[in-house]
Amino acid sequence: MSEQTERSFQKQEAVFLNAKSVSKKNNRWYKDIGLGFKTPAEAIEGTYIDKKCPFTGNVSIRGRILSGVVVSTKMKRTIIIRRDYLHFIPKYQRYEKRHKNLAAHLSPAFIGVEAGDNVTVGQCRPLSKTVRFNVIKHQKKVVKGSKQFQKF
Amino acid sequence: RIHEVRVRGGNKKFRAMRLDTGTFSWGSEAISRKARVVAVVYNASNNELVRTNTLVKGAIVQIDATPFRQWYENHYAQILGKKKRLSEEEAAESPANKQRSRHLQRTVAARKGNVEQALDEQFVSGRLYAIISSRPGQSGRCDGYILEGKELDFYVRKIRSKK
Repeated sequence: MSEQTERSFQKQEAVFLNAKSVSKKNNRWYKDIGLGFKTPAEAIEGTYIDKKCPFTGNVSIRGRILSGVVVSTKMKRTIIIRRDYLHFIPKYQRYEKRHKNLAAHLSPAFIGVEAGDNVTVGQCRPLSKTVRFNVIKHQKKVVKGSKQFQKF
Repeated sequence: RIHEVRVRGGNKKFRAMRLDTGTFSWGSEAISRKARVVAVVYNASNNELVRTNTLVKGAIVQIDATPFRQWYENHYAQILGKKKRLSEEEAAESPANKQRSRHLQRTVAARKGNVEQALDEQFVSGRLYAIISSRPGQSGRCDGYILEGKELDFYVRKIRSKK
């Protein structure tokens, strides 16, 4: 009930809510995005509605798959990722550090994403002015020396 | 009034300037009927569009209920909108109990129709709440579906809180 925060009724396009015979209690549509990526349990069991989610919404992942480090999570359902790389200067035969920032849509299926985490993003159609990628996998930052097991 | 627009690729778009009817579906009964659009009642994006009665995708409108009531009474032989029965006993009897062959009578008796409370009340007033799901500025048509269940509760609450 709490996911109806907008002024229009939030629902999944693919699900028809008013069928006379109630088949199962949680009528939720989700999909497998392919390329060997597992769809998270939260996407299947959760109750959020997000049309831009790669698992429960109307976007397809195709094209490039990139990864990076999360820089900020302050936007609503989207994050900024930083991708570092080395650029070669032929004259001096040395490298220099460069980076590019990337805005990616973060589905509510991924909970507990913080700055510093590693994230894999897949290309999709333009979702807003700068967002063309969608988060498809999330690995928490490994704290060195900590005795806690971090899922790799 | 519908204007034709030539678009990229030599194709056509139909820009609807004024519309008064559209085909609306009754989801749980799986039928569609052409109905008259009466007024725009709610728009999630802009109240101005409600005041000016602008038809856009996602706008909540009131439609004429008679095509759906007629279909229901023919199909299920039950009367919709309980309050009306008290006043017009004789007239309402005929669609519900018209002459049917014995075969038809049996098939009709086997069907059970039950409409939810909120929908039934709307039939009394003769106006149903529906949402437009086509894009009148692109296709030139105003089609949609009748609101039921949770969606209906949501929008009715929004409309009431506005007034």
